Formats: sequence, structure tokens, C-alpha cells
Amino acid sequence: MLQLSNITKRFGPLTALDAVSLRLDPASVHGLLGENGAGKSTLMNILFGLLRPDSGSITIHGQPVAIRSPRIAQSLGIGMVHQHFKLVPTLTVAENFSLSLHAPLRQIKARAAVWQSQLQWQLPLDTRIDRLSVGQQQRVEIIKALLATDCGTAFPGGGPPGGSPVPQRTLIFDEPTAVLTPQETAELFAAIGRLRDGGAAIIFISHKLAEVQKICDTVTILRRGRHIHSGPAGGITPAAMTQMMVGEAVESPTLNRSSNASLGTLFPSLPPALQLSNLSAGILKNASLTLHRGEILGIAGVDGNGQSDLIQAIIGGIPITSGQLSIAGIDATRAPIRWRIDRLAYVAEDRQTQAMILPLSIRDNLLLKEYRKEPFSTLGWLRFAAWRSHSSDLIRQFDVRCNSIADAAGQLSGGNQQKMVLARELHDAAKPLVIAANPTRGLDVGATAFVMRQLLAARARGAGVLLIHNDLDELLAISDRVLVLYSGTLTDSGTGIQPVAPPSKESIGHLMLGLPPDSPSAHGAA
Amino acid sequence: MKQLLTQLALVLVSIAAAIVLIMLGLYACGYPAHRILTLWAGGAIATRFDIAVSLKIACPLMLTGLAAGIAFRCGVINIGAEGQSLIGALAAAAFATAVAPSLPSSVAIPLALLAAILAGAAWAAIAALLDRYRGVPVVLSTILLNFIALQCVKIMLEGPTGPLKDPLTGVPQSRLLPAAYHLPLLPPATGMSSLHIGIFVALAAALIAWLIQSRTTFGFELRVTGLNPTAARLAGIPVAARQLSVMLLSGGLAGLAGAIQLLGITHILGISQPGIGYAGIAVALLGRLHPAGIILAALFFGMLDNGATNVEISRYGLPHDTADIVKGIIVLCILVGAAYISRHGIIAKER
Repeated sequence: MLQLSNITKRFGPLTALDAVSLRLDPASVHGLLGENGAGKSTLMNILFGLLRPDSGSITIHGQPVAIRSPRIAQSLGIGMVHQHFKLVPTLTVAENFSLSLHAPLRQIKARAAVWQSQLQWQLPLDTRIDRLSVGQQQRVEIIKALLATDCGTAFPGGGPPGGSPVPQRTLIFDEPTAVLTPQETAELFAAIGRLRDGGAAIIFISHKLAEVQKICDTVTILRRGRHIHSGPAGGITPAAMTQMMVGEAVESPTLNRSSNASLGTLFPSLPPALQLSNLSAGILKNASLTLHRGEILGIAGVDGNGQSDLIQAIIGGIPITSGQLSIAGIDATRAPIRWRIDRLAYVAEDRQTQAMILPLSIRDNLLLKEYRKEPFSTLGWLRFAAWRSHSSDLIRQFDVRCNSIADAAGQLSGGNQQKMVLARELHDAAKPLVIAANPTRGLDVGATAFVMRQLLAARARGAGVLLIHNDLDELLAISDRVLVLYSGTLTDSGTGIQPVAPPSKESIGHLMLGLPPDSPSAHGAA
Repeated sequence: MKQLLTQLALVLVSIAAAIVLIMLGLYACGYPAHRILTLWAGGAIATRFDIAVSLKIACPLMLTGLAAGIAFRCGVINIGAEGQSLIGALAAAAFATAVAPSLPSSVAIPLALLAAILAGAAWAAIAALLDRYRGVPVVLSTILLNFIALQCVKIMLEGPTGPLKDPLTGVPQSRLLPAAYHLPLLPPATGMSSLHIGIFVALAAALIAWLIQSRTTFGFELRVTGLNPTAARLAGIPVAARQLSVMLLSGGLAGLAGAIQLLGITHILGISQPGIGYAGIAVALLGRLHPAGIILAALFFGMLDNGATNVEISRYGLPHDTADIVKGIIVLCILVGAAYISRHGIIAKER
């Protein structure tokens, strides 16, 4: 049994954790829930030896331990499966293991094979990481974490971990399902189940409450650095969990389909917001779609199947090799980026690299696409008074929480960064087209609801919204139609034009894996 | 504001650390470090003459510092101010001795400086175009072009065939520039320091650089490009064009620095490495890439050099190179400190 007691951690004036306690029992899955900034990461970083607590203690089987580094954590049987994989893409699976564990390849392969059979996986140990799907890469991460913690358990030589009793092994999963298809998620859960049955304590961090209820035995909820609740996962509803996380009830926005007139007739006089005909760019092949004004068109798919190329072709980031693109009825196949900026709002797939200049002030970030225009500049000279009043208006309108518009944008929390980007991109109601790519990635419940409400508002005022999203639940909640992108090809999911039948998550999931939508579930995913 | 204070603290701590380290080193070698320090400071600022000499040394460093700073801020690592200033000086010398030796001063000096700016920019453009069309990293091409620039100067000045060579001497150097091309000296209050009006050119350049960087859409685009080229492109900024234009500006400033040094101090072009280009990189880093900071950093380097001369000619006979050691330590401290600040900032954000 692993026990964290009264852990307190301060960063300057901010108390990230205030006397938080957490008990981890062997052979159980413990869900850890909380908004961004609630202290989940800080707590896990303390457990994994990346941060030192200001006060409080950690005990394993009643013995106090001092976890001063990840290496010590691993020697105590504590492993972490990071959300962002820490793998070298150009090395093979086995080489990655060897690299991170400082162990010879042959020995590593033998030890990895034991875990593979334990988890009923068949990872190709001699294949380069960059040839693997995201789901497989995650398995590599998991086995890496297991191998790293082997040395701290009863089998220092890397012997078979199959026997019992298994000493305390603790695995931290940081939002592991964020990048997975429904089928991959089901398989991950099966693996987590096997690890639990093998005696490991699992910490499962997720924003997806349904998953938490499905996989977790107990849950702990943190809010603003305080412990709010611990108890059996079966005992509380998702709504109650949300309320405890946020401190108030949050309604998750969905599209009101019944009030929806048939598509394309809402704004009959206007040309479609976006039209692609047989468009090829990058790995995207012959994509055709029509996005009407007043519509949200969802694009589902596993990352890396052409999403980036689809987005970049539309916004002008990469050249279109063949086919045609038109925005609001005007041919834009070869239009320069500046022309497109005036017509489309882009909520970027990776806001920190594509949409923001982190060291620049919030004010400068808010003007990033309009600084050239009156009244923000005249004949090349910047007019800061206009910048100030414009950006002050925007942060009020979009509820960006900051001390001052002069602060660096990088100081904002993830949710507020996204609100800032939304403010810049969506404030101009005249833009006919909105491209939103994974717009809620890394956001908590409150910020997610805000983003989805903004997209629905853009739809309501007549913009066409192309929503490329790898969270299927959110995608289905607000999309009028859904297309699936697999291996560079767009497929209609059949969740069609009015009236929308309850869309089948599983059939979309199959399309995301390149299977026919009605193929039998190979892994009992339902 | 907080950022400004952080940067200021970084610079001051780095300078202090370098002084402490050099003093420890001097003690270890048996020198009376505190006395050397007094001599050093005295040589830099004790009299009006000393101050004038410090300013004179700082003048070209201001310009090469600005050259490096404006490029670095745009993410263009131009290490070639050395070569660009040499080519600038070469162009000015060619203009003055061969093209138009008999112009009146009021026309001659501006034209010679203009020639130097254009030549420096053209030299920098080679690197920019190699990057654009052949993907050669600017860091590498500019540093290699420094050596080529020196060879170009040698070709012009060496042997019986050197077109700009002074025929009256065997030394590889140009003729003395006509008097109309000598920069006017500042009033006699500065004594024999030969402080010239180039200092005003440098200050004006800093002011203009500051205006461009902080007050124009062009400057905003340069800054955004430097901080995040991907986001810059998606914001509609023509990133490649901005990188090219900043390279031209940078090269032009470096060329100007070379000509100012030639017209103001040496009046004869030789084949030695002036060193002002490399020093400009250190000045830009110490000045944290801000025009005002660069001016102050150049002044500081000028005082370091000037003071070091005083120490060298004192009875302790400390080599002048000690000044370079101090500069090196300062820049290392700055780099370590800046890395620490950016990492520390990330940790604080990740709570």
C-alpha cells in the first residue's frame, strides 16, 4: 500500500497542493480527477520524483520513503506513462527500451517478451517507433514503464513477473486515452485490467468521466490544490463528479438537433462556406466535401491520417497538388495566406506552436492577425492605443483571465490560452468559415464547455464550422454531420443529414481504423 | 516590466560574476587584483580623455552589436558581421581612393558610407540566398564568408597586382584616404582621443533600429518571425522575405561599422581582422538584443578594452587579452543565466 499524506507544495505565492492525502491500494485502479490547475500533475510529479513536496510524507507499506528523482521512484516500483510519449522516433522499439533502461538489447528483448505475453500484446520489437500507430506507441511507453519499475520489484534480474505475490507496483497513466480510438481505448482498458489483476496499483488521470467510471475502482477529486472527495467510483454520477471538480454544475453543450432545419437551407442565399473537390495535398487524396453555412461538419480520425494536411491545405500552409478549394464561393486554391486569414478563423491544432507567440504579450497575440489593418496601424506605424482598447475588449468578451494584457501569453493557463486564441479568431462575426482542430485538447471541463459553446455560436450566426477532433464524444455532441479521415481518404460515416440518428460511435471507430463500419468488433470493444 | 528587471538582473549578475572570477584568477596568479581593478576602471573613465577613448572604441561595436542584435531577434543567426564589415570597409576604401578621390567632404563621406552599407548588405545577401534556395544554414555560411571576405581584401591589397594597393609601399595596404573622407573629430575637449562623429551615426542607427523594431508593423513581423516562424507564417507574415530583409539590414549595419572605423580611425585599409564583427555578437548578447542595451553593452566593452590598455602599460604588464577573457566569461554567464531563466519559467508555469 502506498500512502501520500498531507502533501503541500507551493510555487511562490501559489499553493498548488494544500495538505492532500491519497491512498493507493494494490490491485486497484484509482481515478484522479480535477480541472487544469487542480494539482493533479503536481501531485503526480511529486510521486514520480520530479518535484519535492514542501511538507507531507510518502510511505510504502508503512515505511517512509524520500523520492528525490524519477530513478528512485522507479526503484520503488513507481512508473509513469506520459501523455506525450518520450520515445525516439528513429530508433526501434527494443532500442528505445535499451536506451532508457541502460540495459543490453538481448536482455531487454527477453524481459519485454515476458510483459508482452502477460498483457497479450505483440509489439514488433525491431520496428522503428515512427512506423507504429499512436496506440502501439503508447504500448511501448507502457512496457517501458513496466520494465523500468521491474528493477524495484522482486525481480531485479528481469525475471518473469508472472508469479505471485507481486510487490507493490504503481503505474501512473496521464490522460492515456486522449489520443486513442474507441477500440484502442478498449484494448488499453483490457491491459490495465490485467495489470490490476496482477496486483499493480494504477493511477488513471482523465477528463473523460465515462471512462473513469468504467475502469476505476476508486476516485479522488482535487480542486484548486485541495482534496475534495475520495470514494468508490461506482458511487457517484458524472454530473456529481463535474460539480465537485468545478465547484458548480456545468452543462455540457450539445447541438439541439430538433430545431435544425435541413442543411443548406438555413442560409439559402449564401454560397457554401467551404468546398473541396477532389483535393489532394500532402497525404490527403481526392478529398471532396461541402460545408454549408450554419453547419458544423465533424472530421473524425486518428491523428496522422491526413488531418494536418487537410487543415494546412485549407489555411494555405501547404500547396494543393490537385483539385479545387473554394471559400465562401470564391476559388481559393492558390490564394495567399493573407487572403485566407480575412475569411477564415483558425483554432489551431497545436495552439502553442501554431497560434501563439508564447513570450509575446497577450495584447500582441490578440493582434497577431490584424496588426496590419486600420486602426491598428497606419502606413506601417503601430498605433498602440487601438491595440490596448481592442484587446481589453476581447479579453472581457471571451472571459480571458489575466492580470494584465501586457503579461506574456505563455503565463496564461491552457484554458485561458485557448480562450485568447478563440477571441482573436472568432470575434469577427463576418468570417464565413471556422476551422477548429482539436480545440479542447488539454482543456478542463469548464473551458471545454466554453469552447464548444463558442463553436455552436459561430454556427448559429451562419458560419460554417469544420471541426477536426479526436475526441469522438465531443465531436458527435455538436456536429451536424461526421466524415471520417483514414489514411488520407475522407469517408462519409453515414451519420447524415437530418434527422440525425443516434450516431454509432463504434461504426465511426471502425472507419477510423480503416475497417468497414459494420465489421465485427475484434476485441470486444463495446 | 518584470521582464526588463529580470534581464537587467541577469546582465548585472553576469558582469559581477565575471569580475569576481577574473579577480580570483589574478589573485591565484599572484597579482594584486584589487589594484589592477582600480587601474582598469581608472583607465576607462578617469579623465575626459579616457572617456573619449572608451567611446571611440565602443563606436563600431555599437553598430556591429546592432547588426547582430537585429538579426538575432528575427531568429537569423548572422555570425558574419566580421566579414560584412570588412567588405563594407573595402567598398568605402575603393570608393574613396579609386572611384571618387576628389569629392568635397559633404558629399564624399555620405557616399562612402552608403557604398559600405550596400556592400555589407550584398555580402550578407549571399548567405541569405544560399539559405533560401539551397538550405545552407546562415550560421555556417556567414562564418565561412568571413574568411572569404578577408581573402577578398587581401586580393585587393596584396602583391603587385592588388588594384587598391598603395604603390609607394611594400606593405599590403591601401593608399591613405583623401582628407575629405576623414570623419570630422569632436571638439578639442576630448584632447588627442580622436573621437569622431561616427559616435552620432551609431547612436542614430540605434534610435532608428529601436523605432523600427518597436513601432512599425515591419518590426513586429521581424519579432514574431524570430519567436515563432510557424505561427508567423500562419499569421500571413512572409517569413522568408522578412528573414532576407533583416539579413540585408544586418549586413548594411556591419558594413557601416567597417567604414566608420576606416573613415574615423585608421584612414588606411589593411589586411588584419578588425575583430569588431565578432565582438558585436558578444555586445548584442550582453545588450539582450535591445538597441538601448546594445549601446550600453558596447560602451562597457569599450571601457573594458580601454582600461585593459592602462593595465597593460602599468608596472603589472597584464596582457591586453585579459579584457577578452572577461568578455568571454560575461557572455558565458549570460548564456547560462538565460537558459536557467527560460527553464525556471517553464517549471513555474507547470504547477
